[in-house]
Amino acid sequence: MTALTLRGFGLSARLPWRLIAVNAFLMVCVLTLAGLGLFRGAYPITSQDIWTTITGDSDPILSMIVLEYRLPRLATALGVGLALGLAGEMIQTLLRNPLASPDIIGFSAGASGGAVLSIVLLGSTAMVAPGALVGGLLAASLVLALSWRRGVSPGQLILTGIGIILTLGVMTDLMMTRLDTTSAADAVKWLVGSLAAPTWQEAGLLWVGLALLVPLALLHQFTLSRTALEEDLAVSLGMRVTRWRVMTLLLAVSLVALAVATTGPLPFVAFVAGPIAHGLNGAPRPSLVTAALVGAFVVLCADAASQSLPAALALPAGVFTALVGAPVLLTVLLMSAKRDRL
Amino acid sequence: MRSHTHRRLIALAVLALVTLALIPLSVGFGVRNLGWTNVLSALGRDQLGTTAHLVVWELRLPRTLAALICGGALGLAGALMQVLTRNPLADPGLLGVNGGAAMGVVLGIWGLGISSQTGLILPALGGAGVAAALVFLLGGTPRGQGPDPMRLILAGAAVSALFLALTWAILILSRESLDVYRFWVLGAFSDIRMADLLSLWPAFAIALPLAAAAALLLDPLTLGDDTARALGVRVGLARVITILAIVGLCGTTVSLAGPIAFIGLVVPHLIRPLSGADVRLLALGSFLAGALLAITADTLGRVLLPGREIEAGAMMALIGGPTLVLLVRLRRGVAL
Repeated sequence: MTALTLRGFGLSARLPWRLIAVNAFLMVCVLTLAGLGLFRGAYPITSQDIWTTITGDSDPILSMIVLEYRLPRLATALGVGLALGLAGEMIQTLLRNPLASPDIIGFSAGASGGAVLSIVLLGSTAMVAPGALVGGLLAASLVLALSWRRGVSPGQLILTGIGIILTLGVMTDLMMTRLDTTSAADAVKWLVGSLAAPTWQEAGLLWVGLALLVPLALLHQFTLSRTALEEDLAVSLGMRVTRWRVMTLLLAVSLVALAVATTGPLPFVAFVAGPIAHGLNGAPRPSLVTAALVGAFVVLCADAASQSLPAALALPAGVFTALVGAPVLLTVLLMSAKRDRL
Repeated sequence: MRSHTHRRLIALAVLALVTLALIPLSVGFGVRNLGWTNVLSALGRDQLGTTAHLVVWELRLPRTLAALICGGALGLAGALMQVLTRNPLADPGLLGVNGGAAMGVVLGIWGLGISSQTGLILPALGGAGVAAALVFLLGGTPRGQGPDPMRLILAGAAVSALFLALTWAILILSRESLDVYRFWVLGAFSDIRMADLLSLWPAFAIALPLAAAAALLLDPLTLGDDTARALGVRVGLARVITILAIVGLCGTTVSLAGPIAFIGLVVPHLIRPLSGADVRLLALGSFLAGALLAITADTLGRVLLPGREIEAGAMMALIGGPTLVLLVRLRRGVAL
């Protein structure tokens, strides 16, 4: 017996034990990391302190650090990781390409361009987040509109996406050369993405968005598994492929937009979540839950790493997402290589 | 069928002729208006020491040559990479060379205090080599089947991201590095001197024939690994040769001219409607088109805005990006 079969309401679902074990393990990892994140940081906090904060009779500095600083930061890291992991897996399945990531729709390239443009125009970083959001949405609509031809085909989407993101990327690079050193340094920090000091307001908006989008995305899992089949087969089984594709794209773009608007573009999370999830599950079928958990795990690790450095070497979390994600991906690849050889 | 091949060969010949026709234009035009007679006579030996001679031999000819070779090399490497990995999203930098070179450059500026573009060639070359070796070790099992393309590109993406993240970390910590890096990353042929070309030509002289061999070896692989093996192709060997060729071409280019992602990624898509499924034609066409695009971008970048130059790498994306989108839109055979 390699799988658990759930039946009810006239439906049945088959869950391999390995899938359950992997997800449970990841869940434990994510929760442990989030819990540790409460204690670690520049200001040492014990479990006693946390308890008194919850019960409400601790000193105001402590409760401020826990409630106003660490909790929103953890909530943001968790939410952004989940969103990016989900979006990455959806896009990679949709385009059937392990090299694809939500970046291909142009949102991230547009967001970077918009952010740098706002710095060039205003000379300050005041309007960076709105600029990024507008730029990202414009670029994504441009890619979708230009690749639309009575529906979207993965091939056209990929090629149009390449054309647009390369052009936008170069425009961003060109704008960077027109900035003075200080503004350029500011722009770099934003372009990398950071988890520094998010407020409850930002974290709240992120989680409201997630509460709307994640159930839709998870419902999508069933169709996603079916379209892992050939397209012709999916069509002949009665799937409305175009409607499904548009739906997937919109969901993925919204998830990425939520993440980018909160933290800036955290690189590599969306790309790496899918392959790691597949390596862990040992099956190439789409696994949204695992991918989302992997995304959260990578972002939380990156956050912990960026917090553990001394202040003189302060680096934004965006630097660490790749530093954490890449070795994990490589390990998973090496593990699966060893298994293949056996 | 035969006339089809003929038409393809004619299209490639036209491409070659246009590229050749652009060479005199690229040498002739520039910020300093020399006049055609001066340029022509400066090519001779008798003008030694004049300004025209200096400009033509030290600035313009190296640029033109570098654009031709680097553009061609990147186009060729891109075609090989996409055929090798069977992935339209794969650019040759994905084998780690671009990330490694960027890391090398930033370390060179930060650790060794290098600030001239020419001084950055060696650190870039070193970084590219280290990263490529790492990708090959992690992504390929050269025994038996040869490296698995899928694992190779994932390993390449991971190693590239690792090196780029370290690069960003240094950039955030050191402003001097950022100041040099943000110009280097655009990619340009303007700072390449004759001496650089002379010192690096052996790398091209080894990598180009290797790439030609790779194109011939990869052609039967498009039928699938099993069929190719049944035809007597040594699949693993073919892949290893291809990877070496790509790393050689791309690593040398990135150290000379900076990371120009555009050519390797896009040019093969532009050529595919002309070449069909034939890998040899695709490789040749991508070489020619890459050279053409590079030399056009370099020349246009020089003359478009009077008084200031647009870097060739940027110019390429500004020309080529919209072209690609337009071609996909018009569906002139551009499809995956």
